[in-house]
Amino acid sequence: MFTNHIKLAFRNLRRNKVFSFINITGLAMGIAAFLLLLEYISLEQSVNKFHANLPSMYRLINESPDGKTWPEVEPGWAMQARQRYPEIKEYCRFEEGIAQGIVTKNDNSNTSYRESGIGYADGNFFNLFSFSLLNGNATDLEKPNTVYLSASTVKKYFGKENAIGKTLVLNNQFGKAVYTVSGVYEDMKENSDIRYDMVFSLETLKDPANLNSNDWAAPDNLNSQYINTFFLLNKNSDVAALEKKLNTLRDELKKDKDGVRFRLQAFSNVHLGTSLGDSYPTTGNLKYIYVLGGISLLILVIAWFNYVNLSTANSFKRAGEVGVRKVIGASRSNLVLQFMGESLLINLLGFLFAIVLILLLQPLFNKLVDKPLSLQTITSSTLWIYGLLLLMLGSIFSGGYTAFVLSGFKPLDILKGKVSKTSKGIFLRRSLVVSQFVISIALIIATLTIFGQLRFMQNKNLGLNTSELLVLRGPEVGKDSTYKNRKEAFINTLASKSFVQDYCVSGSVPGNFYSFVTGGFTQPASKKGDELKNYSFAIISDRFLKTYGIPLVAGRNFTAQECAVEWNDNSKVLMNEQAIRQLGFKNPEEALHVNVQWDERPLQIIGVVKDYHHLGVQHAIDPVIFYPQNTSSYYTVRLSPGNTPEKIASLEKAYKESFAGNPFEYFFEDEKYDKLYASEKQYGHIFTTASIWAIFIACLGLFGLASFTVESRVKEIGVRKVLGAGVGSIVTLLSKDLLRLVLIAFIIASPIAWYFMHKWLQDFAYHINVGWWSFLLAGSIAILIALATVGFRAMKAALANPVKSLRTE
Amino acid sequence: MIQLQHISKWVTQGGSRIFLLKDINLEIQEGQFISIMGPSGSGKSTLLNVIGMLDQPDEGDYNFMGQEVFKLKEKQRSAIYKSHIGFVFQAYHLIDELTVYENIETPLLYQDVKQSERKALVADMLDKFNIVGKKDLFPSQLSGGQQQLVGIARALIASPKLILADEPTGNLNSKQGEEIMELFKQLNDEGVTIIQATHSEKNAAYGSRTIHMLDARIEL
Repeated sequence: MFTNHIKLAFRNLRRNKVFSFINITGLAMGIAAFLLLLEYISLEQSVNKFHANLPSMYRLINESPDGKTWPEVEPGWAMQARQRYPEIKEYCRFEEGIAQGIVTKNDNSNTSYRESGIGYADGNFFNLFSFSLLNGNATDLEKPNTVYLSASTVKKYFGKENAIGKTLVLNNQFGKAVYTVSGVYEDMKENSDIRYDMVFSLETLKDPANLNSNDWAAPDNLNSQYINTFFLLNKNSDVAALEKKLNTLRDELKKDKDGVRFRLQAFSNVHLGTSLGDSYPTTGNLKYIYVLGGISLLILVIAWFNYVNLSTANSFKRAGEVGVRKVIGASRSNLVLQFMGESLLINLLGFLFAIVLILLLQPLFNKLVDKPLSLQTITSSTLWIYGLLLLMLGSIFSGGYTAFVLSGFKPLDILKGKVSKTSKGIFLRRSLVVSQFVISIALIIATLTIFGQLRFMQNKNLGLNTSELLVLRGPEVGKDSTYKNRKEAFINTLASKSFVQDYCVSGSVPGNFYSFVTGGFTQPASKKGDELKNYSFAIISDRFLKTYGIPLVAGRNFTAQECAVEWNDNSKVLMNEQAIRQLGFKNPEEALHVNVQWDERPLQIIGVVKDYHHLGVQHAIDPVIFYPQNTSSYYTVRLSPGNTPEKIASLEKAYKESFAGNPFEYFFEDEKYDKLYASEKQYGHIFTTASIWAIFIACLGLFGLASFTVESRVKEIGVRKVLGAGVGSIVTLLSKDLLRLVLIAFIIASPIAWYFMHKWLQDFAYHINVGWWSFLLAGSIAILIALATVGFRAMKAALANPVKSLRTE
Repeated sequence: MIQLQHISKWVTQGGSRIFLLKDINLEIQEGQFISIMGPSGSGKSTLLNVIGMLDQPDEGDYNFMGQEVFKLKEKQRSAIYKSHIGFVFQAYHLIDELTVYENIETPLLYQDVKQSERKALVADMLDKFNIVGKKDLFPSQLSGGQQQLVGIARALIASPKLILADEPTGNLNSKQGEEIMELFKQLNDEGVTIIQATHSEKNAAYGSRTIHMLDARIEL
């Protein structure tokens, strides 16, 4: 009986080629989309799960009185807490931002790279976290001046040589230090939030000589928040009680009462958080997961709806068979089983084709979401069970419903020829088509809105002129006694080049965050608590504003002399309008020449800079304080247009002459800003792909439905043509119904899409409104595509010779 | 074998009843070959459907082999007709997707007959009807007469006591029709009870008894 069903199912598939093709293609596309996104979710869900100590590890984080949380804490707490509270078995601290610099191979090869994925960590780093060491002892990190390298970093610096025992020189803000390679570890991959190319021993920074007078970084201080702190707790520790004790400790030892509270965040929640409302800092994005998961389910649902729709629409074709089978003795359960078998076969084929599709599309999808995914990603997590279960449930439900409908015909009705047209389930079928198009139209509206916002951000006036602005990274290596002269020589070379229209040095550049962010500012009229407000610092030279084309609204710019003074001797600052407002001034003029206090230091506001977007347009403009220094972390050059590669080559030559041993690295400001919208672009591309995918599947179904409508009305069309109906009127007749459904879908989809997109846009400080044009466009697109789909089929029917359809056997 | 008493069936149209069957009383003994004659719309098919338990009357009693059919549950009723009644249709109603062999085999599938037994029974039937060579063909590849042969073979495969044939030769030419009627005669001689509805006097003559119907009644 079973083999019979399978055989019969295959024959049916072959006989109804259009139907089978549409069903299998639709299902394959739906399942493929589902599995691809399941891969993504599986990866995100598996992040950090490989650490053996995960269940007993907690991250120490800060929470400000206004509810903001951040993971950087002062480095001194870990030891203080460990000494006092026995539930803390061990602690490990690590940092990645402050180590950035240039790493040079300590030989004559002159191999050097700027490294940003590097950091300092405590000696037990490789014991506490489960990164596998390929070479070396885990405990050597406890010694100062040791470094551990990832396998691919070893390759980069040493090729196939054995790296252990070799030395590397790190040049960064802490000066120059030599490190011995003591271990090699397997590359830290996408499934880890902690990802270092190099791990330097934090122990090194305990020696004040290695701090280069950056006292804030001393590993036992309780003042600067810069380090990640993880605790390994003993089993059955009371986390809430420990949190309380830590806060008591903080109140006792911390001098300035900043109102910040300690929180302990379970390591397992560090990546995705516990819920959308989780206020703790996370490295992943749970919202993203929900959005992607939702889209993949919607696409899958569209495919299943297709199946149900087409099968029940097709049922009048199968009705005869059902009737005969019933008359010769089939019970309803016999028939249900038969049709279930067919549906499982179609689903199975869909699944197989989905796998093929995934293998083909995987590289494109990986590029789209920017993750190294494969089908193994799913099977290596526990999610695949749920995924498979969902797929099975879906096919059982869609197949079950179809089987239920088909097996329900009364044999006598069929034999009498009463079931020539399928009125059965017509409401359901219409509802399903409407839902499919609701999903498709909503996705199109979302896509249009996302791109609208993206274009808005890209075109928004930043308040500065980024065209032809080239930024060079300043040197780190070789800051010896000749450095000052070499720097001047380089600047003179810049000034002498005919293609350099303008140039400056600065400590930070627009589009690339600030020099640092700090509080402690008051003006004479400030209220208590104002000192807690934060200001962003941009260290600039006198040429900065001119080079970037940023205007002043009041006062004057720094002079060259003012920029040349030592850090602590300076008494002048510029502020942007936002900073003036935050300090409580009504207008720029009122702020001019006022002395503000930065903790104990008075600083005079000599000018007010017009607000510009230092960061992406997603963010509101921060209050910025400009501090005069000739710091040369960056050299900015405005080039004359044209011949860019030659000009860059000429700059590189000059740079190498002045700063030998430093890599020549540069970027263009306009490209930098564009990169700030990468995540919005990614969103846009994902939504575009998803909506094309969804509407394609929905149209497959629509095409199938149109085919069946036409088939079941062939006689009617023939009669109408004989009576003189034109092609146009017949196409209208056949398309009207389905188009009305798309229109209803549009009406339902619009408010839903509006709601979600309106919410999405609120995340941006500067945003468009959800435009009526995107609704109009989405509706038109959907209707046009639907019209083309249905019209094609209807046209064919309308052009057919009526003699054929009216001929009786 | 069959007793029908006061069987009536009607539809209500515009407030008045239109009778499809009106007060039918009929007794049929096992082994009879009955022909039901009458013009279109006289109720022949409806009567056959009632006898075949595909349709239910609005009034009356039906006793089939000692059982009150309308007092049985749907399941029991279908069990009776599964094992005792075979249907032959004017339009053959073969399943297009199945081969000749599979069409004949299908009723056995629904009666849970074992595979080896099924093979033997179908082989016998193919042999008996001389269509062994056509067993792997699909209905669309056969002539009308051949299709009807397959239809009859399918009706007989489960060895029913009663064959109901609704205009079995209606779609066939006269030669094919004759062959089919000869076959019925032969089956009847072997002991199968046959009830056929027909327009043709000639076909009716094959039967042992003819019932005339007009306007939903049996004419006496």
